[in-house]
Amino acid sequence: MSKKLSALTIVLLFLLSMGSVFAGGQDDGDVKPIKFGGVWPLGDITGAQASKAAQLVVDELNANGGLLGRPVELIVIDSEFNPEKGAAAIERLATVDKVDFFVGGMSSGVHLGQIPTLKKYKKVTMWTGAASHVAENAVGSDQDWYFHLHPWDYNQGASYVEGWNDIAEKYPEISIKKWFLAYEEGPFGSASFEATKTLFADMQIDGEAFQSAAAGGGDYTAVLQRAKEYDPDVFIWAGYGADALPMMEQAKAVNFSPALFVGAPPGWPSDFGESKLAENVTLYGMWAPSLNIVSEMSKKFYGEYVTKYSEEPATYFAPLGYTSIDIIAKAVVIAGSVETDAVITALKEISYQSPLGETISFGPANVISNQGFRQQKILQWQDGVQQVIWPFEFATAKPTYPFESWK
Amino acid sequence: MNNKKIYAGTGIGAAALLAVFFLYTNPTVLVYGVQRAGIYAAIALPMALVLGIVHIVNLAHGEMMMVAAYLSYFISKTFGLDPLLAAIPTGIIMFFLGILIFKTTISHTLNAPELNQLILTFGVAMVLSQTVNLMATSQPRKISLDYVSSSATFGNVSFGVYDFIFPALAIVFLLILMYFLKKTRLGKAASAVGQNPRGARIVGINVDLTYTVIFAIASAVIGIFGSFFITKFSIFPAVGGAYTMKSFALVAMAGIGKLPQIIIASLILGVAESFVMSIPGGAGWAPMIFFSLIIIVILSRSFRSKQ
Amino acid sequence: MSEAVQRKKTLPYIFMALGIVILIMPFFSGPYIQSIGRTVLTYMILAISWDMLIRSGQLSFGIAGFFGLGSYTAVLSAVNLSFGPFMSIIAAAVIAGAIAFLVGAVVLRLRGMYFAITTLALGELFKITIHNWHDFTGGPNGMLLPKLAFDGASIPTYAMMLVFALGIIALSEYFKKSKIHYALTAIRDNEIVAKSSGINIYKFLLIAFTITAAIQGAAGAGFAQLYGFVTPESSFNANYTLIPLAMALLGGMYSTWGPVIGAVVLGVLGEFLKLFIPYGHLVVYGIIIILVLLFMPQGIAGLVSKTLKKRGESYE
Repeated sequence: MSKKLSALTIVLLFLLSMGSVFAGGQDDGDVKPIKFGGVWPLGDITGAQASKAAQLVVDELNANGGLLGRPVELIVIDSEFNPEKGAAAIERLATVDKVDFFVGGMSSGVHLGQIPTLKKYKKVTMWTGAASHVAENAVGSDQDWYFHLHPWDYNQGASYVEGWNDIAEKYPEISIKKWFLAYEEGPFGSASFEATKTLFADMQIDGEAFQSAAAGGGDYTAVLQRAKEYDPDVFIWAGYGADALPMMEQAKAVNFSPALFVGAPPGWPSDFGESKLAENVTLYGMWAPSLNIVSEMSKKFYGEYVTKYSEEPATYFAPLGYTSIDIIAKAVVIAGSVETDAVITALKEISYQSPLGETISFGPANVISNQGFRQQKILQWQDGVQQVIWPFEFATAKPTYPFESWK
Repeated sequence: MNNKKIYAGTGIGAAALLAVFFLYTNPTVLVYGVQRAGIYAAIALPMALVLGIVHIVNLAHGEMMMVAAYLSYFISKTFGLDPLLAAIPTGIIMFFLGILIFKTTISHTLNAPELNQLILTFGVAMVLSQTVNLMATSQPRKISLDYVSSSATFGNVSFGVYDFIFPALAIVFLLILMYFLKKTRLGKAASAVGQNPRGARIVGINVDLTYTVIFAIASAVIGIFGSFFITKFSIFPAVGGAYTMKSFALVAMAGIGKLPQIIIASLILGVAESFVMSIPGGAGWAPMIFFSLIIIVILSRSFRSKQ
Repeated sequence: MSEAVQRKKTLPYIFMALGIVILIMPFFSGPYIQSIGRTVLTYMILAISWDMLIRSGQLSFGIAGFFGLGSYTAVLSAVNLSFGPFMSIIAAAVIAGAIAFLVGAVVLRLRGMYFAITTLALGELFKITIHNWHDFTGGPNGMLLPKLAFDGASIPTYAMMLVFALGIIALSEYFKKSKIHYALTAIRDNEIVAKSSGINIYKFLLIAFTITAAIQGAAGAGFAQLYGFVTPESSFNANYTLIPLAMALLGGMYSTWGPVIGAVVLGVLGEFLKLFIPYGHLVVYGIIIILVLLFMPQGIAGLVSKTLKKRGESYE
């Protein structure tokens, strides 16, 4: 009996010790730090780099004496690409760590699970991910505390229309009448297709789904054959990085070479630029290292990141993560406090020069009131480097047209 | 016996008819279907070996393929080798890695219920994919190879021919494995162990060695496939998961323990999927065909055997 | 001997006491623990329901399929028929159970791996259908629930899941003591003998399959009520099949308390590790699963009862 009891005691002690860890918000002496709580998928390169970039701002603030004379702290929790874990992370940051601000975000699916919790606390929230309009509907209108940096799916679609019209106007030889969109069948691809179809309604447009390699697919021959028969001026594929090079190789195999070959993955494979097939592939993106030439902020961010982590930021989530903290810090300085209403007021009026090139200020989107970035950029792979070709104010190169056919 | 012949005859006849039909209407359906089937068969065969012959449930099947693909990628990059040549060192390394995984984990669960193996190998799968994720990040990688895009043109239709390497590979795998099982002493021993481990031990077969060798051979085959895999696909830590499920499905469809039937099952699935995908708007329904066919085949076989 | 019997009798009470402490604790420890608790309870319900079927020897890989089906039923019934939370959960259980009943009539003749793969494939079919049925289900982008149960307040939602889980625990215990249990165990031990002794195998399997699928559907509806959305990717996530299996196995199969213990241990462990090892905690998680299976093949409950039994025997 005594052994049983002692076993029971051990288990209870173990639970208690766990409880103390769970409940343990630590006290940092006399000056209470200003706390940022970040939730990203840390196992994924997007979330890992976004959180590292966010830490850069915190380090810099602390090196310069903190914010409002208080030290700054960033607490990052892994969302594990899982809505339940993502929501639990918000609960912990709010109630255990007692953070002042929420940052983070990548996948829409995780965000949907977090929104009810975020709404419960209504702290100033600066979101770097989630493009799905369903997530926007979930946030709903009149949520002043919610700031969304990443463009929504329809923002992206609209910016492409604008971009291509600009390009066609400036370079009359570029024809953009007939479109074909190959889209991965998940939420990302199908939302892209829906948005593009509505926005390009006055043009000839067709599309076909494919199963992304990220979801266990990777065979694009059917969709490429269809596209080839359709013979578009512009061929766009909306998939993931894993689709990039195989897509080119299979397009070459079926001898399909549209005048404009556009890829729209959220990130590219590390060695894509080394391939011969990459040359003159057009792409959608928000940031590339080539922006350093035209944007001081981008150069600063890039330099700091490479110095600290000795790796290149490989996805635009890195500069978005950087922005999420930096923009709140600037607003806190303006507001002179971390009080929610004051920071919201400051954020609504801020004009922020971002490491992604553009200077942003917040304004209403379809549903929410504080939308940051609305634009994507149109870039092109030239000599293994992503060059910006639109918006023209950030252009680092001229478009090469047409896409060289396979030789 | 007669019944069996009738079934086989009708099957072959129907297949021939379909083949002629596709050749006539849309030849690429057949081309891509066969290529697809090759990939399915090549990855399912090593699972058919471990699951069918020695009844080891390995949920880390796809993850082992992923590890092999990364090995092959780094070998190719470091030594400037073509991945198809890197298949040899990768296969050898995977042979020993297979022994390591088997000896440290699976061999201790041989007497436990199959479920223990299932969850154990789920743990192994998790460790493998998360370790690779830590070391190589989730960013996809792909070696750019010119020959992958080699194509043929008939009339006005061009299609890739490189992918025919996968059906060829699957046939080679099958022939080697069949030869091994039917003609070598170890192979015959494996079949005996699979049917009755206790009996096999009594007649003097080294059961532990047999299990280990079978698992190692399957790992080597997975390793070789991994090298071929990176010629066509990008790799990332989560790339293997889908192939575990597909391999399981294929083995169940072929009938556990029946290696040659894997080829037939793969052909049916490959061509059917390819056909659905050739219909505009059909891509989303291809997995539906995959899983429906598997259910139909499994059920109809069970009905037949009950009669 | 009487000592051993005594021990065997007290064992469940110890577990029960411990379990009650763990289940009540979250009420006093803030929204974060309550949120973890809700997740643990959801997985616990799935793990118990899976275990209830495996007692017959039938290995189901269809948990995620019925879970997702239940989630979608809850949201669709709330959107189209303005069902409240309670009604939507009932609807989910009914739909999942009804589909399992229809499917089970055909599928339950399969055994072993064939049954497992077929239930897995069925789950995939549900997912693909919902994924492709854009107009009704929102397609790949999913749908939102108009209003969360208890507006998402922490304590009542935890209480809701707790009541649900306790109900399932009670049901599972009832199952163990009822005629069904003897029939199912007989099937697992030796199907031919069971058949020849006049047990209607088919009927009992169908009952068990239908009830467990209904539970899994209701759990899915609970998820939808807690988080307010469904998407094919998250609602049919393969984790809903694999994690409950691992929990049941680690805790100890063929019992109610095994899955309960497994769910608490694995669920808490996952969060615990993450706080210490933000990058790479899943490696450790995997290693722990491997180690537990290697050194405790009967699960935690199995190990505990074995040690106690041994001590009991030594008194004889």
